[in-house]
Amino acid sequence: MSILSIPFLLFAAGLMIVYFALPNRFQWWVLLAFSLGFYALGGLANVPFILATSLSVWGAALYIQRNTNAQKAYIKANKDLSKEEKAAYKDRCKARRKLVMLLCLLLNVGILCAMKYVHFLLAQADSIARLFGGSVSDTVSWIIPLGISFYTFQTVGYLLDVYWGKCEAQQNCLKVLLFTSFFPQITQGPISTYRDLSGELFRAHALDYHNFSWGAQRMIWGFFKKMAVANVLSPYVANVFANYYSYSGLTTFIGALCYSAQIYADFSGYMDIMCGLCQILGISLTENFERPYFSKSVAEYWRRWHMSLGTWFKNYVYYPMAMAKWNQRLGKTAKQKLGKAFGDYLPATVALVVTWLTTGLWHGASWGYIAWGGVNGIFIIFSMWMEQPFAKWKKRLHIRESAWLWRAFQVIRTFLLVTFIKVLPELGGLRNGLGLWKQIFTEHSLPGSLGELLPFVDGNRAGFFVMLIGILLMFAVSMIQRRQPVRGWLEQKTAYPVRLLLFAILVLLIFHIGVPASGGGGGFIYAQF
Amino acid sequence: MDELLAILNDLNPDIDYETEDRLIDNKCYDSFKIITLISEISDTFDVELGPEHLIPENFNSAKAMWDMIRRIQEGEE
Repeated sequence: MSILSIPFLLFAAGLMIVYFALPNRFQWWVLLAFSLGFYALGGLANVPFILATSLSVWGAALYIQRNTNAQKAYIKANKDLSKEEKAAYKDRCKARRKLVMLLCLLLNVGILCAMKYVHFLLAQADSIARLFGGSVSDTVSWIIPLGISFYTFQTVGYLLDVYWGKCEAQQNCLKVLLFTSFFPQITQGPISTYRDLSGELFRAHALDYHNFSWGAQRMIWGFFKKMAVANVLSPYVANVFANYYSYSGLTTFIGALCYSAQIYADFSGYMDIMCGLCQILGISLTENFERPYFSKSVAEYWRRWHMSLGTWFKNYVYYPMAMAKWNQRLGKTAKQKLGKAFGDYLPATVALVVTWLTTGLWHGASWGYIAWGGVNGIFIIFSMWMEQPFAKWKKRLHIRESAWLWRAFQVIRTFLLVTFIKVLPELGGLRNGLGLWKQIFTEHSLPGSLGELLPFVDGNRAGFFVMLIGILLMFAVSMIQRRQPVRGWLEQKTAYPVRLLLFAILVLLIFHIGVPASGGGGGFIYAQF
Repeated sequence: MDELLAILNDLNPDIDYETEDRLIDNKCYDSFKIITLISEISDTFDVELGPEHLIPENFNSAKAMWDMIRRIQEGEE
């Protein structure tokens, strides 16, 4: 079901009515029914996959919890055991838990890899076979289950948290199924932790005017960003990316900048719609953005863009990898032979390389995405290694970190860097991505007219101006958000009729500009990941 | 405890470790510093730290870190 459709609005309205009409204890049942319905509408063939993931993770987590509890009870009941006996018993219990955790991990990550990467792997096998005169044909016709990248990561996070004792396992398998399939986050995240989301899903929620008003405002803002900004930019960006070799470097560069605006409006627009809907239901969803284009470094950008994915990789890939015994030993050896700084940086560097290559692979099965992850990783690793030399240079050049000019330079530099990195995998192949970079830097001819500079303006002047206003509004909203929530600011600064008029104008623009630009629904960029 | 304070001061001398009890919640350390801290604690106190120990309650203050180290040394974790 498209989020940008009347059926979805009816679905959301139906959910709100049933959710608040039934007694509070049934609310999570309502969410489960609507989530499964939403998922089934995306294709019944998807359902067995999400059921398999939910049930396997529920069972494995429950076993781990019971084993942990039994271990604690045994130790408590046998206080006369020696320290060595206790340690040996704990090791035996832990080995069983580890085996169950690894089997469950293997099953679910295996399903994800098989469904998502089979074509990529077969294509690589074919390339290698051709070197020896053979070939590998790709006859696989599997359909990637809806949201598999998101729900697999979310449930793996839950499994590891239970294994590490960071949260208690849920006894009720239907509650785990709701945690896995909760519809507002199934297609594009956020990837929540069980501790955060379960606290929201399983408590009672009363209908509240403030939540309803703020939630509805955020939904309208999200629809505006997606439909009147992202979807208006989409055909222009697609055109420039498909034909970059025939445009001037300047037009291509503007196309790349527009892609940055498009993907932000697209992804954060979706988040606004779903966070708004959840707020109406009284549920606080994990936030995914914190004004990312105002970041002062690539590392900071990744702490503020798709935050839940960054947190997931940090908690479940980066830290375990950096803390692994073999990696710590590597650091210790490097410290003895190459000095303290080298030894300190090495384990983190190894973990960052793995984290960024897997982040690239998570986004898509292509060399373009692997390169995209690699380039992000290189920038982050480089700035980590260079932190102290940079600090010395800044001191020597009398650069004050708090000076607004320096901060503006850092923000613009980071925005340009992430824009160039972003386009790399988006042109259907790494070669085209690099070709677009080359076009920007080597094609210096100046466009002769506004139509040549911005090829889409002539065909859609109204759309262009609304989109431009939309981008300026997004900028203004980000500026206000530095100090306080925008809706709170609006309440303080404007009278009720003014706010009503403002949102009425947004709705009007959504229908007048956004609906025609969205055609048959207009898919979301992040849904493909 | 003195050895732990020496490690922490080496990592960031601008923090008052006697009073600060929200080191992680206040984001006093980035992920690289956390890894460096864990590595130093493991080496100095001969304890094995894993991802299961990475919770704010264990790292929010020098005292919390010290308590965690003692628990691991005594085989309670």
